[in-house]
Amino acid sequence: MRESKLNGMFFLLALLLVWELAARAEWVNPLIVPAVSKIVGTFSELLWSGQIPLQILASLKRAAVGYALAAAVFIPLGIFMGLFDNIRRALEVTVEMLRPIPPPVVIPAAMLFFGLEDEMKIFVIFFSCAWPILLNTLDGVKNIDRVLLHTASTFGLPQRKIIWQVILPASSPQIMTGLRVSLPIVLILVVISEMVGSTDGIGYFILDAQRRFRVAQMYAGMLALAILGYVLNQLFNLAHRSLLPWHWGMTKRME
Amino acid sequence: MGGETTVAIGNISCQVDAGEFVSFVGPSGCGKTTLLMSIAGLIAPTAGKILVKGRAVNGPPPNLVLVFQEFNKSLFAWRSVLGNVLFGLDARGKKVRESEGKAKALIELVGLKGFESHYPWELSGGMQQRVAIARALAYEPEVLLMDEPFGSLDALTRLELEDTLLRLWEELATTILFITHDIEEAIYLSDRIWVLSRRPSEIIEELWIDFPRPRHQVTTRAEGRFMEIRNQIYKQISNENTA
Repeated sequence: MRESKLNGMFFLLALLLVWELAARAEWVNPLIVPAVSKIVGTFSELLWSGQIPLQILASLKRAAVGYALAAAVFIPLGIFMGLFDNIRRALEVTVEMLRPIPPPVVIPAAMLFFGLEDEMKIFVIFFSCAWPILLNTLDGVKNIDRVLLHTASTFGLPQRKIIWQVILPASSPQIMTGLRVSLPIVLILVVISEMVGSTDGIGYFILDAQRRFRVAQMYAGMLALAILGYVLNQLFNLAHRSLLPWHWGMTKRME
Repeated sequence: MGGETTVAIGNISCQVDAGEFVSFVGPSGCGKTTLLMSIAGLIAPTAGKILVKGRAVNGPPPNLVLVFQEFNKSLFAWRSVLGNVLFGLDARGKKVRESEGKAKALIELVGLKGFESHYPWELSGGMQQRVAIARALAYEPEVLLMDEPFGSLDALTRLELEDTLLRLWEELATTILFITHDIEEAIYLSDRIWVLSRRPSEIIEELWIDFPRPRHQVTTRAEGRFMEIRNQIYKQISNENTA
């Protein structure tokens, strides 16, 4: 495992080296593909000047609000759909109709309702991660083994306690999966919505840099997003490990 | 709704006395599990009546608990060994402060001292079933139903757990209703055995087992009477299978 990670680092470094050489030797147009060193230099300037952190923060705020709202609405909804067949049947068709809509398509409509304000982006993010969260939660609840539920009732647990003490923890790994799958989707949608209509945020920053032909800045913005995605994923793993230590240990053993 | 309905249980009329250890044995698919689930109030019988301590069963009775064969599915994966046992005490409405000591005592009683903070997936099958038994006993049931609890364990672990169960049963004076397809297991454990027919199952034989207790895995099983009873039940069940 360690060794393969090391190999991966070598490959990445080799790739960056080739890129650097290609840009310096002008095998590629350096106006379109600046040297890696230049991009990193620009990135560090933007980092220390506070510009990139500011833009990232603006994006993160929207992402966090949309993500949290989606979790707050669709985890409980998924649990209820999993528990009550009539609720599930009532909502299933609607969900199946809304789910295939590619989330960026919602942006024009959201603009009509919310203008170019934060609410527009938050709504689009909310919409985009609704389905992975909802469907994973629903699956998690429906797949709980009957033996487990029978066990809970044989101990005389009333329905309300079964939900809190058995159904929620038993489906939590799959709820976690829904939240994890949503993470990159949130990142995509925050960037797209900022490109379409915004005056700040990392998506706006990247598009603006490209339009002003500050190519190195554009790449620096992309680099910032790559790092952000990586960091978010690590944070998510940390949360998973501390919230569901039993599940983390179980899956680590199976790897 | 949909599908064929099968009558799993025919005419069964029986009574278990308080403190007794009774087993049902029968051919596979004879409706043993259906019977136990009905007694546990998890499914409603289409006809007939079940009384536990004189009260008609209508939903899970408060003084009864069922231990399933599938310990890997019945344990709460997100709770440690201690947490699982505490669940039984919580369900009984015990105060948290007195619970922990009691849970630890039960864990020791089933031979899992030192594993309190382990999660179920970190334990072997036999250990997991020990946890399930400790959790059930923490509930202080007057009646303990067991549905082939040792059915998926290896032979050696099974013998060990049989003795653990007998020890606990004698110590805690619960009534145990045990289902197994292992004839010798039933003889070794029980005061009384009911042999069931194929579905719709009925009791075709009632046997009183009067080997002295405490029983011993070697000497009790070596007695001539033990083999006689085993062969008698075996013939009845195999007749059922070919009938």
